[in-house]
Amino acid sequence: MKLSELIRSHPYAKYAAAVMLFMLVIWIDTHIGLFSSRHINLMIRVIYYGIVALGFNFLLGYGGQISLGHAAFMGLGAYLTANLAGNFQINFLPVLLISGFIPMVFGTLLGLVALRLERLYLAIATLGLGVTIQQVFQEWETFTGGYGGVRVPRPEMFGYVFAYSHHFLLLISLILLAVMILSYNFARSRTGRALKAMRDSEYAARSLGVNLVKYKLLAFAASSFYVGIAGSLYAYAERFVHPQIWGVELSLDMLAMVVIGGLASIPGSLFGAAFLVLIPQISRTIPLLNRITNINFILTGLAMIFVIKFMPMGIYNWLELKIIMPIIREEVQIEQRHRGLGEDDHGNPGS
Amino acid sequence: MHWQILIQNIVGGLETGSLYALAALGVVLIYRVSDVTNFAQGEMAMFSTFMTYTVWTYSQGAGLSYPYLTAFVVGIMLAALFGYLIERVFIRPTSESSLLGKMIVTFGLILVVNGSAAAIFGTDSHYMQRAVSGTVVVRGIVFTPHSFFVIGLALALMLGLFWMIKNTFLGLAIRATAQDDEVARMMGINTKRITSFTWIAATVLGGLAGLMIAPSTNVYTGMMSDVHLKSFIAAVLGGFTSFIGPVIGGLVIGIMDNLVGFYISTDWQTVIVYGFLILVLIFKPYGIFGESPQKKV
Repeated sequence: MKLSELIRSHPYAKYAAAVMLFMLVIWIDTHIGLFSSRHINLMIRVIYYGIVALGFNFLLGYGGQISLGHAAFMGLGAYLTANLAGNFQINFLPVLLISGFIPMVFGTLLGLVALRLERLYLAIATLGLGVTIQQVFQEWETFTGGYGGVRVPRPEMFGYVFAYSHHFLLLISLILLAVMILSYNFARSRTGRALKAMRDSEYAARSLGVNLVKYKLLAFAASSFYVGIAGSLYAYAERFVHPQIWGVELSLDMLAMVVIGGLASIPGSLFGAAFLVLIPQISRTIPLLNRITNINFILTGLAMIFVIKFMPMGIYNWLELKIIMPIIREEVQIEQRHRGLGEDDHGNPGS
Repeated sequence: MHWQILIQNIVGGLETGSLYALAALGVVLIYRVSDVTNFAQGEMAMFSTFMTYTVWTYSQGAGLSYPYLTAFVVGIMLAALFGYLIERVFIRPTSESSLLGKMIVTFGLILVVNGSAAAIFGTDSHYMQRAVSGTVVVRGIVFTPHSFFVIGLALALMLGLFWMIKNTFLGLAIRATAQDDEVARMMGINTKRITSFTWIAATVLGGLAGLMIAPSTNVYTGMMSDVHLKSFIAAVLGGFTSFIGPVIGGLVIGIMDNLVGFYISTDWQTVIVYGFLILVLIFKPYGIFGESPQKKV
């Protein structure tokens, strides 16, 4: 079978190809050492935030639900990993799955609350929940080590310890690929379509027989699972977890990744994650800008507002639609694009 | 001695509660008139307070006879200008976005305003004086006149605002725009100017709340995070669809916060208050005084 046919018959083969290529580059680099460890760490960070953005996209991009409390679920995943791997010496994969499943249970509970709340009230309730859980992290010292934080051992799988960050990068690239394929299939399935219908109008979706209870819970459960896994990877990558990070700022960053990168788009999620991770690094190298403290805050905020105003479908989707498509004249049947956040939905409040 | 402490706590709760109410009123005003949930209210208040603080230190340095009064008045004017600029530069161009889009614009504003404040004013924490200094002891109860000043100021502002909304033409225009901006426009109301005015008013309310809380939190970039969250909770608790709801919500949250902090635990204070909010929301999803909106497909 020819490669182009393979890509056409399995649309996510291009994700596999891209990730494999990336892994090949990294594998070659383990021998020649072109990237410094700082670069490798940045790539690791882009990948786990990419998983966060993929998860948050279920909620915001596909489901149209909002949450400002997901940083707490990421923190929960990270602390679970710290405890399971540190105190019980459990292997990487079971730790990863448990760190996803327990936040998923909490996410589903949050979804139950969300069933009754409109968008604005939901945003504030989740904000409150996020702050509350962060407070619990600070106070519950046996689990989290309080303000002192906890150390995390290196990931270990089948007796092999990932002591070298190149190898860990290869490992989490594979996890990213798995997550991307899962997301792809999820979005194209009956579930994904139901979520999009719910996003565009809850009332219309309900009248078409979409079970809102089921799909809202599902959106919350799936996104918390992803975010929990990303938290676990965070713990393994940074090898230290402290309570200050799991605040509202991180939840806002998650939102920014999805909005800037592209709603309901898998490459867009990765793009958004890369944007958020790299902006502080890049602005640090530009003269004049690097004198301004917190310039990355300003740039991220401006980017969010700019995207809402000019490319409400997100930068990646915009690029694909306006630049890439016309150039390669691809006549692929484009499914109906996410209409983004640009159109006024007056007369349809909060749905 | 027990009841004295109780009264002290309640007065303290009324003081912070009326600040929550002021900030919440700003949020609700903007929400009603322009359908924007301004999550950046707290950051904007912090920025206004920083401006007032800067005026205060300069007028002290210049040897003016009433530095605090000068800072108070100039600060209000600067806050009004700031609110006007934010509306003009960020909010008006994005007013055609979806509801979620407008909400996300204010999330972006949080980052922009917070980052700018750190860039302009630095990340240090500064002392700010009280409006009225000193303490008064009545029958074993320790009062600070500052708290009465705060409660009085908040009360005066709220009554003034309510009176204006109810009795003046501007208030009528605000109510009309809040109800249906299209119809209001057809009736010859300049809704853009009304939106601009509500942003100015809300920013001034937030700035005053910031200035009043500054003596107990100090002036720094994170000073408003607690007030901001609690004011949102107050607005949710009271319901976004009424103007009186957030005021009562603010007072309830303020008093409850203080009593829980004193009688139960300061460590778990925030957790308990948020738990209370989520409980209320489960049973009354639109707040205590809120009405559920009618919806069309």
